[in-house]
Amino acid sequence: MTTYLYEQDLVTQKYRILVAMRHDSLVRKIAQELNIPVQELRRYLIEHLDMIQLENLPARAEMADDHADQGDAVARALGREKYSLYLRILSGATMDAIFSEVDARVHTGTPVDDAIAYGRTQIREALKI
Amino acid sequence: MKRIVDVNIPLGPIHPCFKEPIRLKCEAKGERITGAEVELGYMKKGIERIMKGRPWQEVMFLAERVCGICSVIHNMVFIEAMEQISDISVPPRAAYLRVIANELDRMQSHMLANFSYCYTIEHETLGMYLLDLREQVMDELERLTGARVTCAYIIPGGVRCDIPKKEAEALPANLDRIEEDLRRYAGMFEGGPMIALRSRGVGLLTLEAAQRAHVVGPTARGSGIAVDCRTNHPTYRKLGFVPITRTDCDNYARVMLRFDELFQSIDLIRKCLRELPKGVVRGGGVCKAGETRYSGEAPRGELTYFIKSDEFGRIVEIQIQTPSIMNIEACCHEMIIGSDSIADVTSTFVSADPCVACTER
Repeated sequence: MTTYLYEQDLVTQKYRILVAMRHDSLVRKIAQELNIPVQELRRYLIEHLDMIQLENLPARAEMADDHADQGDAVARALGREKYSLYLRILSGATMDAIFSEVDARVHTGTPVDDAIAYGRTQIREALKI
Repeated sequence: MKRIVDVNIPLGPIHPCFKEPIRLKCEAKGERITGAEVELGYMKKGIERIMKGRPWQEVMFLAERVCGICSVIHNMVFIEAMEQISDISVPPRAAYLRVIANELDRMQSHMLANFSYCYTIEHETLGMYLLDLREQVMDELERLTGARVTCAYIIPGGVRCDIPKKEAEALPANLDRIEEDLRRYAGMFEGGPMIALRSRGVGLLTLEAAQRAHVVGPTARGSGIAVDCRTNHPTYRKLGFVPITRTDCDNYARVMLRFDELFQSIDLIRKCLRELPKGVVRGGGVCKAGETRYSGEAPRGELTYFIKSDEFGRIVEIQIQTPSIMNIEACCHEMIIGSDSIADVTSTFVSADPCVACTER
């Protein structure tokens, strides 16, 4: 029976993109930042992003490092624009909700580091990892 | 009663308007595009894997074979990266000859891109005129380097051979003729009412979206971002290079910007020929161990090589970031979203001058 290439499972090809030199170091960096297993993050990325978005991840991450959340230290530490607008790992609405909670905690006197740690837990929840 | 439903419209992998196979899965609501997904993998060469462990003498030929359309810049960026690692200097005459080869390559690439766009919007006459002109540029490239594509003209410490005397004398006159024809064709595009209907206000890419996606080359400059690696290149700096930008952010801006850059390339070649220093074209040098990141301006934008070599000049690690990765991503996830017609998807896609061979490597 004839099978078409475009009907095949793309997981292997996507995985090959993610284990390339620069992609791998980026994925490991994000996994470390969010405290999640590398393989779990890879699985999430493969399921949620298409091939060209995966290819473009390092370039987008570079732009995020240079331009994202320039005016807000808390948002930058949390990666508000980085994970939603630039890397597109999370939707804007989800990230805004997480940021609102973190910002509220900071304003009520919670130390910034604790609030960011809480925010990252929420990100992990949103990623369901 | 007619009901509007969400529809998945697959374009490709084989499509009359695409030069290379790629699959776009567009999601539409009526005629309006609401989302798109890209599937690659139809022409994967695995060239980075092939390069690993090989000496630079082999890798320089492999680098050219990443893309047949912009092979000169792949050759140039790889060699200049090796020169940076090994601290090899280039004779001034060779540096100018590199610019001439690179600009001729850019010209033929831009003409091919604009041909593709004209063909896609059913203006085949103008497309064929441009293709005919491209052949003349290819002839100039062949007379300079000895080959139409994969010229292997640039080597560490210089270029393979000097410009032939006859070619140096004939090139300015040929450029005059090409410029005259090109001015007519650019005018046809600029003033064509049907072309404007298909191009103006179509495939919008805002400056912010372009920045987020790290869009490069004419696609970025068509959205008002003055980014061009030639501004950091020592020879281009000597030539007083200034990037051209347009702020319309649509298909029309991207195609017209390529026309503008064609005239700019002609001026740069003329300037190189006028100021061409005398002397040798091969300075020599030995490739050494090291690690670098080096970028050059390909016809489609910033091309970056990440290279790690050992003491014998063998490539230990290499990754190539081609401009089409960023441009195709922005095209499929920003430019075509919200298009009012499915017919605009192909023209918008082609306006970004996508190169699938570069993207997949």
